[in-house]
Amino acid sequence: MLRKVAITLAVLATVWIGGDAPRAMAADPIQFGAIIPLTGAAAVVGTQEMRGIQFALDAVNAKGGVRGHKIEVQFEDNQAKSDVAVLSFNKLVDLQHVQMIFTGYSGPTLAMAPLATRKKILMVNAGAQSDKLSTASPYLVNTLPSTGDEVKVMSKYLVEQGKKKAVVLFENDAAGIGGRDDFLDLFVKAGGTILAQEPTQFGQTDYRPALLKLAAAKPDVMYVVITAGMVQLAQQLKQMNPDFTTVGSTFMSDPAAIADPASTGLIHTQAQINAPPELAAAFKAKYGDDMDFFARQYYNAAQIIFTTLDKVLAENKPVTGENLHDTLFAIKTFQGLLPMTFNSNTATVPIGINMMKDGKDVTLTEVTAQ
Amino acid sequence: MLWLQLLVNGLETGCALGVVAISFSLVYATTKIFHVAHAGIYTMGGYLAWWLVTHGAPSAVALLLAVAACTVGGAMIQSQIYARLERRRATHLVILIASLGTLAVMQNIIAAVFTPNILQFPIPWAANVMALGGEVRLTWAQMLTIAVSLAAYAGVMWFAHYTILGKRIRAVASNPFLAQITRLQPQSVYVIVVAIASAIVALPGVLVPLDLGLQPYGGITPLLTATIAMIAGGVGSITGAFALSIVIAELQNLSLLVMPGEWSIGITFFIFVIFMLFRPTGLFAAR
Amino acid sequence: MDFWFSYITLAEIYVLLGLSTNLLVGIVGIFSVSQAAVFGVGAYIVAYFLMAAEPMSFLPALGIAAVGCILLNVLVTLPSLRVSGDYFVVTSFGIQLLATAVFTNWTAGTGGANGLPGIPPPDLFHHPLESTGQLTLLCTAGAVLGCLAFFLIMRAPFGRLLRAIREDELAVAAAGKNVLRAKVSAAALAGAFAGVAGGLYATFLSFIDPSSFDLDASILLLTMVVVGGARTLAGSIIGPFLLLALPQILTLLDIPTTIAAAMRQLLYGMLLILFMMFRPQGLAGERL
Repeated sequence: MLRKVAITLAVLATVWIGGDAPRAMAADPIQFGAIIPLTGAAAVVGTQEMRGIQFALDAVNAKGGVRGHKIEVQFEDNQAKSDVAVLSFNKLVDLQHVQMIFTGYSGPTLAMAPLATRKKILMVNAGAQSDKLSTASPYLVNTLPSTGDEVKVMSKYLVEQGKKKAVVLFENDAAGIGGRDDFLDLFVKAGGTILAQEPTQFGQTDYRPALLKLAAAKPDVMYVVITAGMVQLAQQLKQMNPDFTTVGSTFMSDPAAIADPASTGLIHTQAQINAPPELAAAFKAKYGDDMDFFARQYYNAAQIIFTTLDKVLAENKPVTGENLHDTLFAIKTFQGLLPMTFNSNTATVPIGINMMKDGKDVTLTEVTAQ
Repeated sequence: MLWLQLLVNGLETGCALGVVAISFSLVYATTKIFHVAHAGIYTMGGYLAWWLVTHGAPSAVALLLAVAACTVGGAMIQSQIYARLERRRATHLVILIASLGTLAVMQNIIAAVFTPNILQFPIPWAANVMALGGEVRLTWAQMLTIAVSLAAYAGVMWFAHYTILGKRIRAVASNPFLAQITRLQPQSVYVIVVAIASAIVALPGVLVPLDLGLQPYGGITPLLTATIAMIAGGVGSITGAFALSIVIAELQNLSLLVMPGEWSIGITFFIFVIFMLFRPTGLFAAR
Repeated sequence: MDFWFSYITLAEIYVLLGLSTNLLVGIVGIFSVSQAAVFGVGAYIVAYFLMAAEPMSFLPALGIAAVGCILLNVLVTLPSLRVSGDYFVVTSFGIQLLATAVFTNWTAGTGGANGLPGIPPPDLFHHPLESTGQLTLLCTAGAVLGCLAFFLIMRAPFGRLLRAIREDELAVAAAGKNVLRAKVSAAALAGAFAGVAGGLYATFLSFIDPSSFDLDASILLLTMVVVGGARTLAGSIIGPFLLLALPQILTLLDIPTTIAAAMRQLLYGMLLILFMMFRPQGLAGERL
């Protein structure tokens, strides 16, 4: 019995020390947090998000930090789960007193949103696109268009092109279902009709049965909302040699998919965010992977935070979530990898219509969302 | 025609599943251990082959080396973990949990080394399409899977029925106690069986990801479906396991014609529960 | 303080789940990877009633959840009584996967993949408990009650019967005791614990989605019981507290962030293997 009590006390003590350790380090560096999926199926995306932040961190710290303060980011793995995210949020805010947290993935972000409001912690989302995120919390800022914004642009384009009969292939999770609901709503409003829809599991890369079923409805176009497995989809589509066009959103722009010859002809909306070639090359040299959409998004988000932080420090204000939040909206327009304006909690960003062709993603036209 | 293509696709996924089912059945029927770590061997095979191919090895060599590595891996799990636990007279529950732990370790080592991204084999010819009879379109990867799976099935059947080792294995499986006292050495047979099963499962372990991409955590669903096929087909029946795998795969595909896709996995387990309630010994139970 | 409250509250909820899993796996001996599914059902039921057009008070909703989960657990363990343990393994996996499919696809009932946001805080006789501290107190009360119930039951004749069944089922049956009814009762009890845990969880997080109730969650529960110790009260308490603290302890080690998370899952796996090989009774339990 005594032994068991001793073990429990030892465990709690270690947790206490573990939680406090970073705070015991130099007061000079400024700590931020990042709660993203680093294990599990969603880690595909989370790892790239982390690298984007880290890449920006290393660059700014190499130059001496922001106004002499080095920036550190405490990464927490939320396993794409809401309860783990909430626990991590509380840990970062209570124990490490961070005032700004990067987040990704709609579910966990929505779970943390009420906490961010209550504790006045600035949360920056650069990867999730659920429509609910625009209004989830005054302290949640989104640096990319919501699914609805992109779907609106695509629907209008499709109807203009004369493609009015559509089917939908969507991932059976928050992101996919959100996209499907938006498309069902906005495509019809733009003048089209929906013939059929099929779900697919995240990570389930055998699309053939679903594709066959959708093709049997004889559509003009298929709208796709999946966040992983794009290469396999492209190949299986090519195998089928269908009569319809396949379109999607920013989710489609996976570098491996773009490079694969099977993807020629795929059209998608693209939240325009490009990295200058030297930056992309440096990223690839460091991590061995292309700087994909998510890496660019989080690199850009980090830039926005550094700019905001710079102004807060310049005005000699304490680095609190509230000050970061107010200053961000005061600055309003940022120039990171692209110009971005915050008229609301979701940034206004140009959306392009791209087509994949022979290993490249070519922009056909560009629309600036209202 | 829609249904014909669905049928042929189902045949391909069913064949791959069938090999998983046969290999798992070999282990379970002989050792009575529910070897969930088998899913880890399956995954490991694919990743090893991928690593070899991306480092310049020819595809055939990569496949053979992956098979060899899986053989060793499986044998080690049996001899170092399961055998030790059995010597300590551990209950089935304990061995099962240890197997689950082994699976978690294997999957996460793979995830740590190779990242969780879905990886693609850099083998362009695999995606080339052949149109059979103008109606049905299959990739080379799919056709290879069907061919290799059928060959594996034939091979295992021949082995089980016409070789001395095969007969010894069947003897041990049917009566371990008798095998012990007649000096058939069950423990070494167990290691051999798991080794062979691991070698076999490396085949779909490489071929399925060739078509559908590699994921670290993607081994458990095929394993569970294969287990259902094994049980529904009758534990101990190789033909039963293989045939039921194809049946299940076809059902999952064809069910799309009449119901939304999200329930197709539900169908599989629903069928299983029905079997459990009304015919637990399966369709082709070995006596 | 909120972090500590969150940690303790979550740990206490998992203690209830640990008791549930321990009953089923440790004491009755049924391998179950579907406890997270039952947990989820409890959570969704409470959420549904708290957010209904005529919101129900917390305790009645919890009661309904407990009853629902009792029924569910009995239904779920019935197949295990017809077939041998190994076959039930697949059934258990299947039930868990099926439950995840229902949680994700039945949008009308569970909010689907988007989950159910905005679950109101629990209320005690129409006094809402808003602060984290109050929630922690509620969960502590729940956990204490659960542990007390477990302790008393294991002391009672029913508990002795269960232990006897574990030792030698045939002898118990031969002695004229109804083995089936005892097992089903234990499963029912396990269901009740899981249902209550689900209700507390839903109100604590105020947002639930299918990802908290999947196969990984069930495996974590199994790990908690294995490491903490099977079949004992102490094991059901130590396991959750220790395993929830593990990620925090690991952050002390300087592991590169790219693999840190996979390392953690790997550690869970290693713990399972090592404990099974060298200390199957866990830290504070009896041999599984």
